[in-house]
Amino acid sequence: MGERSALSRQQSADDPLLSARHLLRLYFRLLGAQVRSQLVYRTAFALDALAAALITGAEFAAFALVLPRFGGLGGWTLGEVALLYGLAELAFVLMDLAFGGFDAPNLSAHVRAGTFDTFLLRPVPLPVQVFGSDFALRRLTRVGLGAAIVAYGVGQVDVPWDVGKVALLAGSVLGTIAFFGGLFVVGGTLTFWTVESVEAMNVLTYGGRTLISYPLGIYPAALRKTFTYLIPAAFLSYFPVLHVLGRPLPDGLPGWAASLSPLVGPLMLSAAFAFWRVGVRRYHGAGN
Amino acid sequence: MGGPHLRPYLSAARLSFRRQFAYPAATFWGLTTNLFFGALRIAVLLALFGARPQVAGFTPQDAITYTGLTQAFIGALSLFGWYDLMRTVHRGEVATELLRPHSFLGFWFAQDAGRAAAQFMLRGVTILALYALLWDLKLPEGPLGWVLTLLSAVLAWACGFAFRFLVNCAAFWSPDAVGIGRFAWALLGLCCGFLMPLAFFSAWFQNVLAWTPFPSMMNSTVEVWLGVKAGAEALGVLGVQAAWTVALLGLARFVLGRGLRRLEVAGG
Repeated sequence: MGERSALSRQQSADDPLLSARHLLRLYFRLLGAQVRSQLVYRTAFALDALAAALITGAEFAAFALVLPRFGGLGGWTLGEVALLYGLAELAFVLMDLAFGGFDAPNLSAHVRAGTFDTFLLRPVPLPVQVFGSDFALRRLTRVGLGAAIVAYGVGQVDVPWDVGKVALLAGSVLGTIAFFGGLFVVGGTLTFWTVESVEAMNVLTYGGRTLISYPLGIYPAALRKTFTYLIPAAFLSYFPVLHVLGRPLPDGLPGWAASLSPLVGPLMLSAAFAFWRVGVRRYHGAGN
Repeated sequence: MGGPHLRPYLSAARLSFRRQFAYPAATFWGLTTNLFFGALRIAVLLALFGARPQVAGFTPQDAITYTGLTQAFIGALSLFGWYDLMRTVHRGEVATELLRPHSFLGFWFAQDAGRAAAQFMLRGVTILALYALLWDLKLPEGPLGWVLTLLSAVLAWACGFAFRFLVNCAAFWSPDAVGIGRFAWALLGLCCGFLMPLAFFSAWFQNVLAWTPFPSMMNSTVEVWLGVKAGAEALGVLGVQAAWTVALLGLARFVLGRGLRRLEVAGG
C-alpha cells in the first residue's frame, strides 16, 4: 500500500493532471472522514443543521417581515434586496464550506494546540490538509436557504433573463467565494504571529458579508467608497445585481465594471496565498 | 436566607465579575466589531425610514437608540449564546459542583449576575457612550425613567438567564446539545427584538410573541428606555417580565432536578 502511494506520487510529479486528481482524492477523503464523524449523533446533527439555517433565516425573515410597513429600502423592493442578500449568503456559506479550515478561530486553535505542526509533518501538501480540516456539513442547509432566497428574488424582479445575466450572477458568486476565501486565508496566516487577529479579521469577513447583503447605496458615502475603491467588495455582487436590474453603477462607473467580480475575487485570493506562503516559511510553531 | 448563607453566592458573583476584565485586547476588538455592525444596522434602519418622520411609534432617533441598546446588551444578556453550563455537564465537572453545599441553580445565577454586570459596565456602557458621541442617542426621561429602565434591564437579564439555563439543561439528555443551543439563540434573536424592534412586525406576529417570554428578555427594556411604554404601562411591562422570570426559574429548577436524576458521570 505504502509502495503504491509512493509510486503514484512519483508519477504525479511528472503528470500535472494526475497530480491534481491525486490531491482531489486526498481532499475528498479528508472531507469524508469529517462527514462520517459529524453524522454519529443524528438528532444533534439535524438540530444543528436546522439551527444554522434558522440563524440566516431569522435575519432575513426579520427584514422581510418589517419591510411592508416601510414600503421599501432606499428605493429597493423586497425581491431586489432578496437577490442581493441571497447571493451574499449563498457565496459566503459555500466559501465557508471550502475555506473553513483557514478561518482564523479554527486555524488559531490548531496552531495553539500544536496540531498544526502535525500537518507540516505529513506527506500531503499543507493547503490540502487545511482545506480538508473543517468541513461543517450542517452548513448545507444554509446553502439551500441562500439558493431559495435568490430564487425568490429572481421570481419577484421584473428582469428579462438571458445567458449573459445568468453568467454575470454565477461569476459574481465565484468571485465572492474567492474574495472572502482570500480574507480567510489572510486571517489564518495572521494567526502564525498573533492571536488577536482573530477578532480583527471578523470585521472584514463577517462584517463584509453583512455589508454586501444590502444595497451599498444606503450606507454613508465614506463607508460606501471604502468598500468600493479601497476594499473592492462592491464589485463582488452589488455591481452585478445593479447591472442585472438595469440600474446605472454609482460614480459614473462604466457598465463593464459590473463583470469584474470573477477578476477581483481571484486576485484577492492569489495575493492571500502569496502571503500564506510567506507565513508558512516564517512559522516557528507553538513550542510544543 | 440569612447573611452568612449569601456569602458563597456573593463571592461567586464577584469572582466572575473580575474575570471579565482579564482580556483587554479582546474587549477592544469586540467593541470595534460591535460598532461596525451597529453602523450597518443603523444604515439599514434609516434607509427603511427614508423621509418618514415616524413608523409604528418609532422616530429615526428611536431606531438609532434601539440599535445602540441592542448592541450594548449583546454581552450582558448573552444574546449570541452561552454554553458554559453545557460544557460543565459534558466534561463531568458538574459532579464537583454538585458536591458543594449550596444551591446549584443559585450558584450559576450568582455567577452569571457577576458576568453580566461586568459585561454591561465594560462593554455596554462604553458602547452607549460611543453611540451618544457618534449619533443622536435618546435617554430615559427623568429619574423615574432611569429607575424603571434599570429595573427592566435587571429583569430582562434574570428572565434571559432562566431561559439560557433551561436550554443548557438539554446537555443532561443529549450528548451534543450545542445544536439545541444554536437553535435557541436564533429563535431568541428574532423573538426578543434583537434583529428588529418588535413594534415593526405585523400585528399577528406581535400577538403571537406576546404569549411568549421572549419580549421580556430584551424588547421590554428597550420600550421602557425609549418611553414607548411609560408610567402605569411601564409598570405593567415590569410585572409581565417579573412573572415570566419567576415562571422560568421555577421551570429551570424542575428540569434541573429531572436532569440530575439521570446524570451519570464517567470516570473518577
